[in-house]
Amino acid sequence: MSFSKPEHLIPRRSVVGHEGEWVKSFDPPQESPPTPELLNPTNPVPAFVAATIPGATMSIPNNQRVHLMHGRDLPMWDGRKLAFFLIGNPDVPEASEGTFPGPTIRIPRGVVFHSYVEAHGQPAHTIHWHGIEPTAMNDGVGHTSMELGEYTYQWQPNHIGSYFYHCHRSTIQHFDFGLYGFLIVEPPDAYDPSDGKNVGGYPRRTAANLSDYPIFPGFIGGKLESGDPHAMTVPYDVEALWVIDDIDSVWREQADHAHQTFPKMGDEPGINDDFHDNDRGKYDFFSFHDYNPDYFVVTGVNFPGRIGSTVSIRPGLTVPAALNSGVDGMQISINARRNQTILVRLLCAAYTKIKITLPVDVVVIAHDGRSLGVPPFGRYNQPYTIPAGTPIEMSTAQRLDVLIRSSRPLSSFGQIEYRNHLSDAFLMNGRIPIVIK
Amino acid sequence: MKRRDFVKYAGGGLAALVVGSVMPAWVSNNQLLAVKQVQELNFTITDALKNMVTHNENHNAQSYFWLYKEANFPAEIPGPHIITTEGSLIKVSITNGLDEPHAFFIPGMVNSGPIAPGATKNIQFVASKAGTYLYYDNLNAPVNRIMGLHGALVVMPNEAVPGHKFTPYTAPTTAVQQLFDDFGTTSHFPGLSWEQGDDSTHTPAFRQYVWILHAVSSRLFAEVGNYPPGRDYPAAQFISAYQRDRFRSDGLNRKPDFFTINGQSGWFAAHNPYITPNHRVGEPAVVRILNAGLSLHSLHIHANHVYVTGVNGVVLTNLLWVDTYTVKPLDVIEWVVPFIRPPDVPNERGIGLADKPLISIANPEIKGSVPHPVWPPTEELNTHFPKIGTKTGDVDISVQLSPICYPMHDHSETSQSAQGGNYGMGMMSGLDFIGDRNTPGGVTTFPGAGMYHGPNQTGPAAGHEGQH
Repeated sequence: MSFSKPEHLIPRRSVVGHEGEWVKSFDPPQESPPTPELLNPTNPVPAFVAATIPGATMSIPNNQRVHLMHGRDLPMWDGRKLAFFLIGNPDVPEASEGTFPGPTIRIPRGVVFHSYVEAHGQPAHTIHWHGIEPTAMNDGVGHTSMELGEYTYQWQPNHIGSYFYHCHRSTIQHFDFGLYGFLIVEPPDAYDPSDGKNVGGYPRRTAANLSDYPIFPGFIGGKLESGDPHAMTVPYDVEALWVIDDIDSVWREQADHAHQTFPKMGDEPGINDDFHDNDRGKYDFFSFHDYNPDYFVVTGVNFPGRIGSTVSIRPGLTVPAALNSGVDGMQISINARRNQTILVRLLCAAYTKIKITLPVDVVVIAHDGRSLGVPPFGRYNQPYTIPAGTPIEMSTAQRLDVLIRSSRPLSSFGQIEYRNHLSDAFLMNGRIPIVIK
Repeated sequence: MKRRDFVKYAGGGLAALVVGSVMPAWVSNNQLLAVKQVQELNFTITDALKNMVTHNENHNAQSYFWLYKEANFPAEIPGPHIITTEGSLIKVSITNGLDEPHAFFIPGMVNSGPIAPGATKNIQFVASKAGTYLYYDNLNAPVNRIMGLHGALVVMPNEAVPGHKFTPYTAPTTAVQQLFDDFGTTSHFPGLSWEQGDDSTHTPAFRQYVWILHAVSSRLFAEVGNYPPGRDYPAAQFISAYQRDRFRSDGLNRKPDFFTINGQSGWFAAHNPYITPNHRVGEPAVVRILNAGLSLHSLHIHANHVYVTGVNGVVLTNLLWVDTYTVKPLDVIEWVVPFIRPPDVPNERGIGLADKPLISIANPEIKGSVPHPVWPPTEELNTHFPKIGTKTGDVDISVQLSPICYPMHDHSETSQSAQGGNYGMGMMSGLDFIGDRNTPGGVTTFPGAGMYHGPNQTGPAAGHEGQH
């Protein structure tokens, strides 16, 4: 009994009869199909952006365009430049060459969403609208549909909340190298100015059931089925976006090319495919199995420090309206007044383990784009409080929407603790200023 | 739906052993449980060399394992799923065929204690509480478990709470009971309840799946296999290599390099009908997830958010409805997949309910396109990518987008990239929609539903000549 004389040999299973699906699983076809089940798009946001952001256009009516990928070198906190793959919006000047993260897309619930996606540069790519649940072609997964090419994705957001969008090709390079952006589904009238509200600013509303949390004023109950666009929503005065990420600079060096580790099918699929094209190359490696991040990021902003350190980003950082679907004033470092309702949208885009600790009690109102306690689907759960100082653990791709309201002034910070996903070794404490005056 | 002889799937899906003299109602006639009924489990602890996902005639990709080999099944890692009902007496005979002491252990339920090399031990235990359990070798922890000595035990309740529908638990919380009571009886969950099957549509009752997650380090496992006979590989050294080995630019260190669900990576799990839930809208299913490895996973499911109903033996009171969930080493999680129509398919009110679908406009770029309801998505279901006639050698590799297949995959890196390029080699399964119970006129079954879930044929497996 040993490695050299094992009792059993277990063969790999056959793919005979399913060669097409097998090849597709690692080398999906690149296509540019028409959109099946076509509808007329009704998303009002592109028109709002074109009307309010200087230089912005809406080159396809009611269509949120996404352009990928833009290969760019971006400077880190220490001046070093790393290669990024970026998503752009060709209709908005500030976003046309790609940004990290990609522009935040906001959409009212219930509209027919169209996004014309062009994959340029090193193909192939897709856009997966993470947490949005449409048909397979509109889900943006190459091996269950197709890679692009170009295509108009179509779906209708049905649940208010926090999502993100990313390329669903090999995630290591395409997601980790920067091909993602945040996605927010808002109440149906979020972009309807007819009732006099500030469509391009705050307050805004999001879904929640706060009937047990009277400290948050303005909550409206009722039923979704009533047709009231504000049923089961609460207003928030301040919105902060914390997209927590990490970067392994060695991987960037090893794979400067978007196909670096892609297998090639053989002339007998399942028998002689070539998984190892890469290890004959410059770096003599086959694929990525060992992730060791050395840069740490929140919403594209570096935590300015090396492994093992505890460092803070600057106060007062915000996301420009041009990169937030025309909404002005979304924050990264939090700056609020007493008794304002603050919504923090958390996304873990890191591959390591993270723990988020906040200096105030927070009320969790939604996980993964599903508001807690909102019937009918939320009748099995309810919002809950996480006391100040209690670590919130998150793993890759999870979202959490939390509300904060403080009657007292505060000058503190939220802390992101990064730990290695295998060894649990401490990597960094990144701090985000929170000032409540 | 065509299903191969269960033996061919042993260890790869829910090929399972029912223990006891009575075949419970939730097992009999359930095609998702490829079942053999036994009175006693007969395990040999032995070893194997396994051809992994990227093993083929160009490339040697094998890993050495230890395993629980049950007499009724071929060798596989993990060991077979054991399914039983609460209160059953389970008798186990275990022979240690390896060179160092081994054991059979379920926390809180059974502990064989060390079994000497060559010795046989007979033990018995009562499956005392409904739930999901990992059986494993707890000696030289975690080495023996990580080397492959693990499997799943599923214990079902004997009956539902009086006046209510069946759940996977004997004492469900109010929220869990409400969820299972609502399937098939409310406007937001139209279709079948979990305990309900339908012979006319080949839909089994009690639809459930087991996913045992594992992260395999082929170079470290080979070291263990080459260690001097009779000596335990030091556990601290094993953990250090697995979790903290130094980065090498050629990738040849001892961190995990293969990531599996029920022993299968990527395509082989996603195309296994006992791993990937494949049902119609309105046919809710339970998934039991066990992490046998030493790695953190962040499982992301497409097409439906899932309710998390149980964590590590605790039935939950606040059932989060999530698309991504953290699974730590040794975690045991129960999910419920509601199998609702993917909610962001355009519909009349746009509030997440299975409203009437919107009516499409004729698309001049699609031949024969006329206005029609956007669900079921008939134009999409008739699409092939790559197109029909795309060939490799003599083989047409076109794939029809029917039934509607979605992935479930680990979102944590390395588990998707460790064998190159894309998801098909990583920790992945799927969620496949083969029809809809709630379409006008009755149950719809999408084209290809019966044939897709293969492989139905056997053929030459990949590998170096003479190795199999």
